Amino acid sequence: MYATLALSWDMMFRSGQPGLSVAGFFGLGGYAAALSFLYWGVNPLVSIALGCLFSLLVAFILGLVILRIRGLYFSIATMSLSEIFRVIVMNWHRFTGGPSGKALPSAVFNGDSAKIFWLFLVLTLLTVIVSEIFERSRVHFALTSIRNNEIVAKSSGIDVFKYLVVVFALTSALQGMIGGAYAHSYAFISPEGSFNFNFVLLPVTMALFGGIHSTLGPIVGAVILGVVGEYLKLQLPYGHLLVYGVIIVIVILFLPKGIVGTAKERLKRKWATI
Amino acid sequence: MKLKYSTRVLTLILSMLMVAGCATTPAKPTEAPTATPTEAAPIKVGLIAALGDVSGINGQNGALLAEKEINAAGGVLGRPLKVIVVDDEMTPEKGAAAVDKLATVDNVDAFVINSFSGVHMAQIPALKKYGKVTIVTGAASHLCEEAIGEDADWYFHLHSWDYMQGEGQKAAWQAFAEKYPDIMFKSVFMAYEEGAFGTASYQFSQKLFEDIATLSGESFKSAAMGGGDYSAVLEHAKAENPDCFTWVGYAADALPILEQAKSINFAPKFFVGAPPGWPPDFGESPLAEGVIAYEVWADALTEVSDISKSFYDGYVEMFGSGPDNYLAPLVYSAIHILVEGMERAGTIETEALIAALEQTEYKAPTMEVITFSPSKIISHQAPLTPMLTQYQGGKLEVIYPWDRATSELIYPFPAWEGR
Repeated sequence: MYATLALSWDMMFRSGQPGLSVAGFFGLGGYAAALSFLYWGVNPLVSIALGCLFSLLVAFILGLVILRIRGLYFSIATMSLSEIFRVIVMNWHRFTGGPSGKALPSAVFNGDSAKIFWLFLVLTLLTVIVSEIFERSRVHFALTSIRNNEIVAKSSGIDVFKYLVVVFALTSALQGMIGGAYAHSYAFISPEGSFNFNFVLLPVTMALFGGIHSTLGPIVGAVILGVVGEYLKLQLPYGHLLVYGVIIVIVILFLPKGIVGTAKERLKRKWATI
Repeated sequence: MKLKYSTRVLTLILSMLMVAGCATTPAKPTEAPTATPTEAAPIKVGLIAALGDVSGINGQNGALLAEKEINAAGGVLGRPLKVIVVDDEMTPEKGAAAVDKLATVDNVDAFVINSFSGVHMAQIPALKKYGKVTIVTGAASHLCEEAIGEDADWYFHLHSWDYMQGEGQKAAWQAFAEKYPDIMFKSVFMAYEEGAFGTASYQFSQKLFEDIATLSGESFKSAAMGGGDYSAVLEHAKAENPDCFTWVGYAADALPILEQAKSINFAPKFFVGAPPGWPPDFGESPLAEGVIAYEVWADALTEVSDISKSFYDGYVEMFGSGPDNYLAPLVYSAIHILVEGMERAGTIETEALIAALEQTEYKAPTMEVITFSPSKIISHQAPLTPMLTQYQGGKLEVIYPWDRATSELIYPFPAWEGR
């Protein structure tokens, strides 16, 4: 789950725009999936796809407005989106259950953890495929040139706004999709749980830890931090979060390009000397 | 075809994850081998709690104290008791993973769960999957009860549901009104945190208090959720001039609310707080004087009950200071109830243990005699009568129920000057 969120955040960040709406679209997709299942009896897997589409639609419409701002202002605007979604959900008691949230009659696949694992793996794979398509197509060049110098990109004929809106909508859709799967895997959704700021902080940390601007970096970051987190919990039941935090700080301080970025750089240097 | 280096590494990672998936597929968790322990093998109880929060730490301490006492008395069914604690990190996915880990890796014989409602909701599908005897000391939301359903006979809920808490509080105030008819309040203003806990409390209070007093209210963002500014809600409360001001939030809100109430000189006749736990050493603040709290545990109970004193002394001996909140005696009770049930059943086999737990009559340190009876949906709900307590001279005194009272009510709430 976190690998998908980290990778989708990075895909938008490849344009140089640090979006912070991960939790917002994660929660929105989750609510769309859960409520469509609850009220209209939509099949859970189809409802996850609906959550994905709903996030895509909302992100596309909002993207037309907020993608006219850049940098820190864009971050603040996207962060506000999450808060706005949360407030709407919390106050729409009849439909969303308000602050208490909504319980679903059963979890997807009746809570079979092996099947749920496969579901998340397939969704992660889907995100990797989208990211690789970005990497290997003209989108990669467009996003890289926008990140390097937007004016030069524009004067080279790149439709900056169009690319940003498309990437914002697509990455938000991926976040909505995984939000839907999350809601169905625990048969419960609440504003506090789904729009939680942890769903922004952790994916961003994982992407920075693994290495940004690539498909591999965020995946490596999510896998390492996920495994290390669980391992530490087994070894140090009472201080694992502290050690976990220290490891993150050390890696980000001493490996600013992340694990993958640093490894790539060292390998390049090594090969250059051979 | 020549693959990029990054693509090769990525393929390797995903392949490893797929192998992990395949590895988990054949061994259905429900069919995990239930190893027949040797005589010396311990009986294992899995405790899930938020170890980053005072409630979880207190719960864990209560469990460890019970474990120590039980093992010192010869264990259970001739075997030692082992409590395995897993941190739920206050997140649903970690809380659910903790159930899986305890059931499949540690192969525990029973669960004690001390998680918050939002986390517990995510644990319910996994708990249903394993069907092991579970005693829940947290999770007050009625949504958890709805999610568990009426068929889960292995589920024992020790904490009261949100709607029961309101009923208990109402009963306490009605008893108070009979004893002190001249000082009873007629109007209440409730400031409640905007999340599920606060909103549900307000909704239930609206129905419950309608024949006692007029109730109005407003929400705030708890300091525990990134808020902490109560000025607007306190100004509105002051403008309404209620007899009783009640706030429903978390421990992190306790002192800031009092500080801000003092700064606007808002001192209603009753100042009541209803957090699940208070900050450690809250009573030592001069601002705490006269604050009324709904509680299940107070150190002062040691003055009126030998059972409470025995628990408290054991806790202090083991951890150096008394419990910060009621979750310590509640989890302590849960472990003892479970072990007494195993002894009565003569086995840890689920059906026999459920039948034995249904016979529970446990005298808890909270001075409650714990038995199980049906609530709205589930069949095993314990009673948990809230006490009215008041901070007096740095100490939390019990003022209701009368048989547990350690002091008289200070009325009205003392003025802010001089503190």
